[in-house]
Amino acid sequence: MPRNPVVLTLFALPATLIFLLFFLGPFIYFVVMSFWSVSLFRLSRDFTLVNYLDVYREYGYSVAFTFAIALLIAVIATLLAFGFAYLIRFRAGRLGPTLLFVTLITMFGGYLVKIYAWRTILGTTGILNTGLIELGIIDEPVSWLLYNPGAVVATLTHFLLPFAVLPLYGSLRGISDAQLAAARDLGARPLRMLIDIVLPQCQPGILVAFMLTFFIAAGDYVTPRLVGGTATAMAGNFVENQFITALNAPQSSALAVAILAVSAGTVLLLRAVMRRTLAVR
Amino acid sequence: MTTRFARIVWFVFGAAAVFFMLSPLLLLVLFSFGRNSLASFPMRGVTFDWYRALFANQDFWVAFQNSVVVSLSVGVTSVLVGMLAAFAFARMKKRRAGPLLALLTVPLMMPPLVLALALFSAYAALHIPLSVWTVVPGQVVFIQPFVILVVYARMADFDESVIDSARDLGASPMRAFLTVTLPIIRPTVIGAALIAMALSLDEFIITYYTIGGGLTLPTLVWGMLRRSLDPSINALATLILIGTLGATMLAIRATRYRG
Repeated sequence: MPRNPVVLTLFALPATLIFLLFFLGPFIYFVVMSFWSVSLFRLSRDFTLVNYLDVYREYGYSVAFTFAIALLIAVIATLLAFGFAYLIRFRAGRLGPTLLFVTLITMFGGYLVKIYAWRTILGTTGILNTGLIELGIIDEPVSWLLYNPGAVVATLTHFLLPFAVLPLYGSLRGISDAQLAAARDLGARPLRMLIDIVLPQCQPGILVAFMLTFFIAAGDYVTPRLVGGTATAMAGNFVENQFITALNAPQSSALAVAILAVSAGTVLLLRAVMRRTLAVR
Repeated sequence: MTTRFARIVWFVFGAAAVFFMLSPLLLLVLFSFGRNSLASFPMRGVTFDWYRALFANQDFWVAFQNSVVVSLSVGVTSVLVGMLAAFAFARMKKRRAGPLLALLTVPLMMPPLVLALALFSAYAALHIPLSVWTVVPGQVVFIQPFVILVVYARMADFDESVIDSARDLGASPMRAFLTVTLPIIRPTVIGAALIAMALSLDEFIITYYTIGGGLTLPTLVWGMLRRSLDPSINALATLILIGTLGATMLAIRATRYRG
């Protein structure tokens, strides 16, 4: 294996070039665009902050709504995933690897397929309604299952659960059994062990799980569009609308930058809070 | 709380979680063989009609061909490029490799919509015509971090003395790589390639914005979703699931991944 710095740089070059040309360059251009404006469908390249003012004035509500729903999804997914990862690590015994396998295979595939599946499950003529009618539990199909924020939360939680389980399981695997046995022998109850031993050591996993689920949920626009209905437009939908329908790329870009900033701020805040509350005592 | 009670609670939780994860996908597969035109109970017998309808659809074959071309290109490119980068990072000092690794992973953290619109704007500004070949680099940029992370993790606990032995015995660097390094890391590389192809096969948002008028399997699903209730969409969704979940399953087997 070469150790020569020149050779190492050459090795890292293709990946770095792809990153610069197809991510950083376009991304910077996209962000710069948020300071331009569009009038009569022509792009004017004079510096302006009007797009950000409009984000504040017109999209304040949808940014707040997106933030709230993404936070809810991230909290539910992280909690569920923590329980599931805890089960795999400490409770499932020989079934653990099987549960992990189930989590892994559902992780890398079927984004659109999963959203579609939830639409066919929750619809008025869908699987849940017809199933319940068939079983005689309800007489009429219920229509409030689909096209509301609840459907978005269910669908995205389903999609994001494997992404949250994996980093949490990784953290839990690092906790030594000897330490837990010592605590138990000294008379610690399960809850005490969870708070004093498991959670502090699981901090990086919790942060990664929360960050992944929060970021993906906050940036998604396909799920609210397919299962959220007209009342559940998230900021991503407006980003897309401004870009495609209104042909106002600068406004779209400013809104996207605002969501990114809010997301990044949330994660930084969470990290600071977790450092305080979950510090190893 | 008695241990027996705790065991029952954990069992119920585990069963419910597995049911939550798997049942939507299993129902989809089930109804792709159902005689009903809508995915609804009761199922009126088994049929292959939806698969027949799908295979008779010209768009399906166009999309299938494009998906194969794109995911093979993305798989090969991101593995070659990602493997080289992982080698470089594994040889660097941790202090230098860490930030570089974090930087290349940034596209993973971006909402795909932002990546898609940024690429679309850049292609438009540079007057680059959209095709499957504009899709490939857009996918590689967020898929290569997976490959780099997986191969880097493997290289971190690689015993380098075996390469030194080969070199001491007179093997050229290339020969040492081909006869020693590559066989050792082959499962990891195959696993990374399969995951890259699964991610590519499933990618929708970036593809949708950078392919122009073309179709891939996910953009075909999108088109069918928007048009009308076409039951062959269940068959198409099942085929995509078989492709992506199958590739992931093989990847886990190849790398013997245990979390």
